[in-house]
Amino acid sequence: MSGASTTQAISRSFGELDWPARIAGLVGALSLIAAFAAFIVEPGAVVFPALVFVAVALYGWFAHQAETARSLTFLATASTLVILGVITVYLFVKAVPILRQMGASLLTSAVWDVHGGRYGLVTMMWGTLVTTIIATLVSAPLGVAGAVFISEIAPKSVREAVKPAIELLAGIPSIVYGYIGFVVINSYMMDLFRLPTNGSLFIVGLVIGVMALPTVVSVSEDALNAVPNAMKDGSVALGSTDWQTTKSVSVPAAISGISAAVILGVGRALGETMAATVILANVTQLPEPLYDVFGNTITLTSAIASQYGVAAGRPTQLSALFAAGVVLFVVVLALSVVSQTIERRMQQTLGGDQ
Amino acid sequence: MSESGGANHDRANIVTETSGVDRLAGVPAVFGAVAFVVGWAIVFRWVHVTDVLAGVTYATLLSAGHVLAAVVLCAVGVLSTTGVVDTDPDDSTGLFTALAFGAIAFVGVGLTASQTFDTGAGVWLPASVVALVLVTVAVLSVPEDLGVTLPVAAFELVVGLAVLTDVIGPSWTWSPHGFSASFVGPIAIAAFAMVGSLLCVWAGTNASQGFGSRGRELGAYSLISTYAAALLAILVLLIVFVVQNGIDQVLKGAQLWPFKLPFVLNGYGLQYDVNGIFPAIVGTVWLVVGAVVFAVPLAVGAAVYLTEYADQGRFTRIVETATNGLWSTPSIVYGLFAFAFLLPRIQNNVTLLTGQLVLGFMLLPLVLITSREALQNVPDEYRDASAALGVTQWQTIRSVVLPAAIPGVLTGVILGVGRIAGETAPILLVLVREPFSASAPSVIGSFHFTASAPFVTNEALLSPATALPYQLFAVITAGVGASQEFGWGTALVLLCVVMFFYAIGITTRIYFRRKLRQ
Repeated sequence: MSGASTTQAISRSFGELDWPARIAGLVGALSLIAAFAAFIVEPGAVVFPALVFVAVALYGWFAHQAETARSLTFLATASTLVILGVITVYLFVKAVPILRQMGASLLTSAVWDVHGGRYGLVTMMWGTLVTTIIATLVSAPLGVAGAVFISEIAPKSVREAVKPAIELLAGIPSIVYGYIGFVVINSYMMDLFRLPTNGSLFIVGLVIGVMALPTVVSVSEDALNAVPNAMKDGSVALGSTDWQTTKSVSVPAAISGISAAVILGVGRALGETMAATVILANVTQLPEPLYDVFGNTITLTSAIASQYGVAAGRPTQLSALFAAGVVLFVVVLALSVVSQTIERRMQQTLGGDQ
Repeated sequence: MSESGGANHDRANIVTETSGVDRLAGVPAVFGAVAFVVGWAIVFRWVHVTDVLAGVTYATLLSAGHVLAAVVLCAVGVLSTTGVVDTDPDDSTGLFTALAFGAIAFVGVGLTASQTFDTGAGVWLPASVVALVLVTVAVLSVPEDLGVTLPVAAFELVVGLAVLTDVIGPSWTWSPHGFSASFVGPIAIAAFAMVGSLLCVWAGTNASQGFGSRGRELGAYSLISTYAAALLAILVLLIVFVVQNGIDQVLKGAQLWPFKLPFVLNGYGLQYDVNGIFPAIVGTVWLVVGAVVFAVPLAVGAAVYLTEYADQGRFTRIVETATNGLWSTPSIVYGLFAFAFLLPRIQNNVTLLTGQLVLGFMLLPLVLITSREALQNVPDEYRDASAALGVTQWQTIRSVVLPAAIPGVLTGVILGVGRIAGETAPILLVLVREPFSASAPSVIGSFHFTASAPFVTNEALLSPATALPYQLFAVITAGVGASQEFGWGTALVLLCVVMFFYAIGITTRIYFRRKLRQ
């Protein structure tokens, strides 16, 4: 409905223009579409429509700045949608061959037979599932506790120092975590827990969990902070202690924001690549028995990162890696939609423009 | 849970002073704090459980502490419940606390039955469920002062005695069925110390306030504060650890005058006395510059359209969902996409340009989200005032809204740059042919104008490059050993670059938020 009204608005403003501007608008739009098409089909030819577009945009900027600005910003918005669209389409298209070959067994079989050309994703999905669960067990309780500390318990001076510090820590690159895991924790665990192999799902889960911690802390703290002070004051005025207020007012009110933070952390853990790749030995076998978290296997992300090189010459294997990418993409997108829905509902519950 | 306290005690409306019990309850609390630190020290191997302190091993000291804490907690509980000291407990402990103790009993009984006595699931499972129910009901049925102290005391007593009698000593090992790992004595002792210490801190501080809602508040606060302190300590230790390991490599051969910092300013090759990472640093800089040039205009433009022009409705919601989806897309998926889509279309080879574009794709949603927030935060009064003066919408956006939003946009860009500068996965597949290169790409010097299409060429943009995070990855895949020092140095430089961007971004954000609130 509002999409339609946007179109209407565009056509209305289009109708108000004089004819050179109309032609320029048409030429600009067509040249941009041509440039995009050229990039898909024949990248060498991109330069011609692109030049036309630049020329039209320049003309528009000087002759009809307001309309041009409006159209250009609209194009920027559209290109965001196009990028997501192209990513989705290309991942799926590249995954089609393996899906055609393996059918549903792609998602139900644990075989990864490079020589026989048969691939199933169960091993990787299991690895990703286990590491994500461990990471969530690490980051969710600790993260929420940290958020409660910063938002409800810490004195103001501590809060103002700790909050930026936590945000700063969210920036530590994952490869640095991976390097520490690879060089230090792997040998430490082999030594102290007498692990038979270098790397295990447990270590990866632990490292990813610590990595996701700052994000969970920071986002849950935002949620707790967004609880209107009037609610807390009401509770304190009734004679509750601060802890009772936190427990019975702040946390329940912010619970959707907190769950969104946890989901965000889960998404991070799911998509984390480098730590898993360098810590795990990336063997394409399920751990034996399945629940052996100290075993060594592979995750969806580390499969892509560790095998793309050897897969370059084998179209089916490459396609299987794309299928792994599709699984990741779909799950993370679903998580993102869920957390947005939760957040939107939270805004409605807490209501108003406080 | 009733908030009205035990009826048999005189309740003062204002609690001024609790009688001696607070000092007594301080004993387990202090032991808890010390044991927590010692437990971590054992895990980090700063001390070993068989090390001797004042003639006694740490294992013995810890277990003696456990027993002492158990005795004191028992005493506190009994003193409180018999009315010898004046406390303010509720009639019953909370259900959550009771269940937590039940869960500890479940795990303890289950592990002992299945591992020590080697019983099958037919025995240990019912046994541990019975333990869970018994403990939960028992804790629920006694007044709060006993419900808090006695279970903790029991736990402390059991683990303390187990270590003291060498049932679980330093040389103990346990290889659980079906797991590849073995648990050894020192780890078990450290784990006991940590769990026990958290329980002690909680029970001790709770008791020191005379139980009741004040006790619960202090108990919860001290528990959460311990958590938070541990969390911060771990994260800070991480950074200290990287600095400690990398600083020697970074400063190798460095001197102040004439200025020399070979690790940072050299390439990698036989002609250098100290192999360095200069090409990777320059590569990272160009990647970031390219991504910013590509993504920021698009993102800001889209943000302007969504906030200023578009009707808030289905269209904006779709774009919002798409941006959030793009934002949470795993970085390796971007890499895969670039590998399939961009790579065949640009030189059919790994190139700097492809790396810039894929990082630009990643930067786009980040900048869009923050720019949008910044634009929405510009007060409507600004727009109305400008419109009232007869200024057109576009002129208002250009000269009122955008300038007001620039700080927010800038913060978003800086934080985004910090994030993409450290990303390895997206450029893994599309950027690098030779990670340890001798010379840096010279992008500015490589522009050439030609008469035929495409009129402008840039050899450096269309050649492979290297980047800091990739270099670190390459150190790992090349195997550890001689290059480990090199890796730590790279990690430190990478950390500095990323932290630098984050620090600036966060500081500007705090500054402008504060300014906005004034």
